[in-house]
Amino acid sequence: MKMLETSKRALLSAGYMALALGFAAPAYADPDAGEYRIGMVSDDSGPIASAGQSYHQGADIAIAEINSKGLAGEGVTLVLDVKDSGSDAARAVQAMTQFGSDRNILATTCCILSAIAAAVSPIAMSNELPLVIYGATRASLPQEPYVTSVVALPGPQEVAMSERIAKELKPQKVAYYLAGDNDIFMARAMAMKEVIEKSGAATVAEITTLTADTDFTGPATQGIATGPDLIVVMTTQQPTIGIITALRQRGYEGMIVTSEVLSPPAVFKKSGETISGIPFALSFQPGVSDSEAAVAFIEAYQAQYNALPDVYAAQGYMAIQFIAQGLKSLDGKPTRQDLAKAMWGTTEIAVNPYGGQPMESGQARTPNTLIVNWTKDGEVKLWEKP
Amino acid sequence: MTLFLEQLVNGISLGSLYALFGIGFGLVFATLGVLNVAHGAYASWAAILGYFSVEYFGVPFPVAVGIGVFGGGIIAIAVDQIGFQPLRGRKTGMLGALITSIAFLIILDSLAGMVTNHQSWAFPSSSYPSGMVDLGIIRVPEMQIIIIVSTLICGVGIYALIQKTRIGAAMRAVGWSDEAAALSGVNPRMVILLTAFLAGATSGLAGVLGGAATSNISHMLGEGLLLKGFAAVVVGGFDDVRGTVIAGILLGICEVFVAQYLSTTYRDGFTYVLLLTFLVARPRGLFGSRDFMRA
Repeated sequence: MKMLETSKRALLSAGYMALALGFAAPAYADPDAGEYRIGMVSDDSGPIASAGQSYHQGADIAIAEINSKGLAGEGVTLVLDVKDSGSDAARAVQAMTQFGSDRNILATTCCILSAIAAAVSPIAMSNELPLVIYGATRASLPQEPYVTSVVALPGPQEVAMSERIAKELKPQKVAYYLAGDNDIFMARAMAMKEVIEKSGAATVAEITTLTADTDFTGPATQGIATGPDLIVVMTTQQPTIGIITALRQRGYEGMIVTSEVLSPPAVFKKSGETISGIPFALSFQPGVSDSEAAVAFIEAYQAQYNALPDVYAAQGYMAIQFIAQGLKSLDGKPTRQDLAKAMWGTTEIAVNPYGGQPMESGQARTPNTLIVNWTKDGEVKLWEKP
Repeated sequence: MTLFLEQLVNGISLGSLYALFGIGFGLVFATLGVLNVAHGAYASWAAILGYFSVEYFGVPFPVAVGIGVFGGGIIAIAVDQIGFQPLRGRKTGMLGALITSIAFLIILDSLAGMVTNHQSWAFPSSSYPSGMVDLGIIRVPEMQIIIIVSTLICGVGIYALIQKTRIGAAMRAVGWSDEAAALSGVNPRMVILLTAFLAGATSGLAGVLGGAATSNISHMLGEGLLLKGFAAVVVGGFDDVRGTVIAGILLGICEVFVAQYLSTTYRDGFTYVLLLTFLVARPRGLFGSRDFMRA
């Protein structure tokens, strides 16, 4: 009888253990050791190459870290296969088609421009090839299960910044510089405008510029003539720099607010003191981001490129970490389909420089918001009311 | 009124850049018979050379302008001698030269992208005249005054060179027929080299001054000037520097006023409509010769 009891207990224990191991198995799963290729459609040349190269370099840092620390699994090596699109939709589509046909490519990452992301997504879907969008910000880009995005949708961060600016500075007359040919930046500006107008400020001008514009003497004159005490510049990077420079050169001394396009160190190198004191909102910035992952990323980036990473590099880095995390959760020989499902079901990107990056239905949610500005000495500090 | 006047000066300054660029563009077309789209790349390269000379060698801005202008001229000569001179011998006509110039535009732009790392740069604000001049009613940036004065000097100088000197007569003769000019004792090769240099140098001047004024030095700088410069030449008349200068300035004024009083959306559309109107209704432009033609 006692023997029977003992056997029963042993059997039950074995059963519980088996059950526990069964549940725990995915956490300890590792893909087969070997080399896995990730296709990257980059923007290393073309009109937005300054940001494109940051994304690419961030991705390279992630690859090195993943391979050295075994973050994608024991004996797993990731290799980045890069094709430069030059921000040209036709070249991006061609690159994605080639990645789709190449069965050695397990996953891909792509695109700063939303229009290009939308153009390559169907190719990823039809080839059942996981695609992680690293820069494009249009809503509804993710498509289950193959297309995911590590870029939080724009809006909440600018809204948070606008609320703070409106509360602390109490502007009365506000002028807006808008990107007439970029619906994302236009939507971001409108979100800010709504918040600022709610605080009681009047909109005195909405001046539209185009992405390809280089001469901003006219728009600057137009804006200053309306006598604003706050100017919101919500355009792509080069026009933003051009507008701010033209405003300052013409003697505008009031507050200017803009977006994260001002964050790359190369922008400060180009513009210097002209952009100091101008607040912008983002999730990652060397000198301010101090999580363990952020510090490790900044140090690795500095060691490799002798420069500080910007928010775009952080996004490129995170896209690859996201793929590695999905891969790590698989067992045996991973397929594109299995990897896509694993990534779609991810709720948090474990290795990220933001201090937390939640995911929901393949779409990154807004992480923490930092409101910062460049100082005259070329450092980035948390913004304080002047 | 102040706003109107300030925008007027902005327009004249912007248009002066178009004019400066267009002078060289028209010169090459009228004298060498080449619709040279690589002309835009000369402006980009001149601005890049000027920027590098300030950034890495610390030269004063006027010297940087000189380096850019000279560099633009030398690149123009190199392109002409490598790309266009062999075609002249074979009499391939304008189409062959146009295709060659497109190839050079791509090559020069790509190389410029490589040396700038596809980034946009700017002259340090302390390195060039970035202050404002108080004219009483309005304040005008120093760079705008420099651009306007430079365009007037270049316009008058090159007009005088072409119309009042023996060299200019030789240029016009080669533009009409290099064989006939050679029979008259003109050295067509020298005229071609001089014309190419002048065209590249004026384009380079537009590039360096425009790059400083707009804080934008990149491999794509010349692309922005190309269409507007072409429009200035078409509207002003291919073979008349005066027309190019006046048309360029008018184009700049119209662009700024359209953006100020209508909408930025219509600004470039206005340029294209003007271009199309002149091509259809008055192909010789405002000042172009009635009998001007290219072989």
